[in-house]
Amino acid sequence: MGRRVLYFPGCALKQQARALGEAAAEALGILGWELVELPRWNCCGTVYSLASDDLMRHLGPVRNLIRTQELGEKRLVVICSMCYNTLRRSAHFVSEDPERIERINAFMDEEPDYRGEVEVIHLLQFLRDEITFETIEGKVKHPLRGLRVAAYYGCMLLRPRVVGIDDPDAPRIMEDLFLALGAEPVESPYKVECCGAYQVALREELIQERSGEILRAAHRRGAELVVTSCPLCAHNLERARHMDPRGTVPVAYFTQLLAFALGGEGALSLADPTLASILTAKERGG
Amino acid sequence: MGLDIMERIRKANEAVTTGIDDSAVKHWVTIYIMGKAYRVPADITLMQAMEYAGYRFIRGAGCRAGFCGACATVYRTAGDWRLKTALACQTRVEDGMYLVQIPFVPAEKPTYDITQEPTDGTPLLKYFPEIARCVSCNTCTKACPQELEVMDYIQAALRGDIKEVAELSFDCIQCGLCAIRCPAEIVHYHVAQLARRLYGRSLPIPKHLEERLREIEEGKFDEEFAKVMALSKEELEELYRKEQREKGGLLRKGGEGEDE
Amino acid sequence: MSEGLKLVRGYPEYMLESIELVAKSRARRLEEGPPKGMSLEERERILQYHPDYAPGGKRPLVVGPNKGDIAPNEVADLLEAYPLVEPDEIELTVDIDVEILILGGGLAGTMAALWANEAGIPPEGILLATKLRHGDSNSIMAQGGTQAADKPYDSPVIHFLDVMGGGHFANKPDVVRALVEDAPFIIKWLSEMGALFDRDENGDFVELWGGGTSRPRMHAARDYTGMEELRVIRDEFRNRGIGLLEFCPAVELLTDPEGQVCGALLWNMETDEYKVVRAKAVVLATGGFGRLHIRGFPTTNHYGATADGLVLAYRAGAVLRDLDTVQYHPTGAAYPQQIVGLLITEKVRGLGAQVVNRDGEAFVYPLEPRDVEAAAIIRECYEREKCVITPTGLRGVWLDSPMIEEIHGKGTIEKRLPAMFRMYKRFGIDMRKDPILVFPTLHYQNGGVETDPQGRTNVPGLFVAGEVTGGVHGKNRLMGNSTLDCLVFGRRAGLAAAEYAKGREFPREVTLDHVRRFIEELKQAGIPRERRSPMLLPDYRGKRVLARMIDVLR
Repeated sequence: MGRRVLYFPGCALKQQARALGEAAAEALGILGWELVELPRWNCCGTVYSLASDDLMRHLGPVRNLIRTQELGEKRLVVICSMCYNTLRRSAHFVSEDPERIERINAFMDEEPDYRGEVEVIHLLQFLRDEITFETIEGKVKHPLRGLRVAAYYGCMLLRPRVVGIDDPDAPRIMEDLFLALGAEPVESPYKVECCGAYQVALREELIQERSGEILRAAHRRGAELVVTSCPLCAHNLERARHMDPRGTVPVAYFTQLLAFALGGEGALSLADPTLASILTAKERGG
Repeated sequence: MGLDIMERIRKANEAVTTGIDDSAVKHWVTIYIMGKAYRVPADITLMQAMEYAGYRFIRGAGCRAGFCGACATVYRTAGDWRLKTALACQTRVEDGMYLVQIPFVPAEKPTYDITQEPTDGTPLLKYFPEIARCVSCNTCTKACPQELEVMDYIQAALRGDIKEVAELSFDCIQCGLCAIRCPAEIVHYHVAQLARRLYGRSLPIPKHLEERLREIEEGKFDEEFAKVMALSKEELEELYRKEQREKGGLLRKGGEGEDE
Repeated sequence: MSEGLKLVRGYPEYMLESIELVAKSRARRLEEGPPKGMSLEERERILQYHPDYAPGGKRPLVVGPNKGDIAPNEVADLLEAYPLVEPDEIELTVDIDVEILILGGGLAGTMAALWANEAGIPPEGILLATKLRHGDSNSIMAQGGTQAADKPYDSPVIHFLDVMGGGHFANKPDVVRALVEDAPFIIKWLSEMGALFDRDENGDFVELWGGGTSRPRMHAARDYTGMEELRVIRDEFRNRGIGLLEFCPAVELLTDPEGQVCGALLWNMETDEYKVVRAKAVVLATGGFGRLHIRGFPTTNHYGATADGLVLAYRAGAVLRDLDTVQYHPTGAAYPQQIVGLLITEKVRGLGAQVVNRDGEAFVYPLEPRDVEAAAIIRECYEREKCVITPTGLRGVWLDSPMIEEIHGKGTIEKRLPAMFRMYKRFGIDMRKDPILVFPTLHYQNGGVETDPQGRTNVPGLFVAGEVTGGVHGKNRLMGNSTLDCLVFGRRAGLAAAEYAKGREFPREVTLDHVRRFIEELKQAGIPRERRSPMLLPDYRGKRVLARMIDVLR
């Protein structure tokens, strides 16, 4: 029936970021694609796997690439920004030096050897390059007319260069998607600045200094909504808003906007209620 | 019949009910117990071999049938650099085996009041935050003598999928070999135990059981019991025959129970 | 053995002929069903092949409360024996004081501990002392299930009849009533603790037939029922911080000058140190006696099943009952040599496997009560000689396990009998494709220390639960009632002990006087001095080593 694409969910999509994943599945379904979960996937280890002095930590990411390879697939789509960053960098790192792959394969003697052929891409790239934004535009049911939305890329989609899905200083991919959905992208000065990531655990002031500022800057530029692809960014941004809502805006995953615009539910039940009211207020015909 | 048959049975089983006698042994192998070479009969288990060699277990022997994990053993075979694991009571000796027993693993267990925890996966990271250190190296799976997919169940635990943890970890005998080998120092079997209990608690008590409990409490069976307990042994025997024969219980074909 | 013998699918080549005959007759036997069950008269007649009936295995006791009663020789040897310790050499200042002391770390002991706590005894007031690790027991190996009459087609009264009938009506009716009436509650409580019993797609419990039962009522957790139950309640025990001493068996009970049990003398097996534990109540949950290898049979039992509790209680004046019958499980593994005697759960027969002789004929209804079934197999092997003989001279008949896959569909064995499938796989045999060889094995202590419905004995302060008790199962226990016994009476004994202990003071004096009295009786009866008990551990050391052994460090 529909076409199938193999994807890697990652731990967050199964727990705190269910909205990100469910909206993605819904949106792709409407676009005629079935998101197939990589069987027996394991945690990518996030950035901690990327210690270059210790190959052991690449086992987690590489094992997922082996699973992909064993299904005869050469492409793995990832939705969570951090998982995307980790898997792509790991794939690159082990393939850079043939000795690395050899050592990893020797350790993982219970698995088939990894041949280094899997390409890891982010869902945004899949939407832009495989499905195309034109096609998406044609399938929009509820154009988000008048919705002023600020893209927030964070770090993981853009840095380092080997993983970057777009220009690291002035990316446009999410904004182009918003246009296809009928919305009005708003440029925000902090759209590629770090939200604080895990540093907020030790330095609480970073929450307002980084995430709080990102939201307030977007608001000052006229945005009603900030949209991201990363569960950790979403967590930090929402936390900042919860601590001090003044001058802030709600946070959504890009897949939710996508799914909603395509006529789906957009996993709104899993999100902040203000998000639902913002999106439905912009609903125009269909 | 009589004594003769009993004597024949006793003789046939001597190797298993008493210590092995050399005269009964046809083939020999050499194994190394903590580095010391011992010549032992072939075709017996590691546990029997160690006893043959003169070890009388205090630690390291439990059910002797593969259920309790007391006899966890780590060993190498001749010419192979890989470390292997096994249960001594379920593993045949091989010539050149080089082994040690791990009768105890120091593994802290967090305490919790399970009635105060939600019956989903959230308590797992709460009580075992170290599962986030899993690097997916699969060493635990390779160490498991029950051939369980240990890494996979830790991954399921990370995701809060207690049903999957229960499914994959069910046959775990808590021998500890996974925990002692894990570079992230996770104690897998304690994680799994909590997950299984949470999952069990998440399942509703079947209606038929609630119904039966209510009946017992209301004394529905009191009269019948009073009658049956007042019977003489002979009357009881007669009732037993009738009940068993009439309802055909004993004479059924055997197999699974069905609701009637 | 291995080098001269070629193995095909795990079996010696010469056995293949018989395996072929079994495979050939399978289709016919599937259709016809097994032979009919025996009448009560036929059952009585076949029992003469049972090891309990062959002369020379038992004798009357000559000392103690059950003087004159019959017990197996190996048990009598331990009951009529001198203590391991010399009472005059033990310094009886109290090392540990607790409200409740529990001896034995299996299902019954752990239940007693939890329920004593539920009854209000604080965790630090309870001490569980066990010979091996907490959990090392026969309980952990229980594969079949736990009986409970919780379906509409069943009732506790029917369950009661099954238990009485299986026990040859020698059970204590009020004790049996307690067993069957508490059963549904136990299942609910365990489920609320988180135990995972098998369920069907509607969420109802899957309940199986057992030998000698007239209704399917066995709740199982795959074939790890005992292990599942024990590890759940053991986890709960650990959470509550109840006191635990491992590798510290009791070598004597302690009594006060009035003869009430008030503690035990524990012995640390690893350091040789003894500990005097004073308690207001003692719960004996020390399990069975398989490692006595009665009549030279192999056993299913765990390493520590050596009748210690029986010995200790007897010396303190406890009355025993029904020791004259011993349960041999009809199907213990007979091949390969490495697993001889290990339990092949009755569930295999419950799922449809027939018992088949060397020529491929089913010769007995597969689900007779255990004593009847065992006797039938012994007759088939040793009188009719229609058996298979293993390379080491053991005799056995086939249990046609491939039938299970035929009846319930492929994958049933792996799903419902994972432990057994795994065990045979380790030894190269695929029980889904080939039958397995079985012969009776020593399994269960039917009788023991007499109990009442509350777990009380005739000795004040001494409570009992589990396999060590007598009166629950009469002369023969049915499958699925042993874990139930442990759970029901572990709980009742824990509650009763707690009640007894509450408001009671510690005795002013702990003594070994009952042991001294017993020694006198032994001397009067002329019992040889070398006979000592409890046994604590069996000895399987090689004969050659034993002949050359000296104890230097002492």
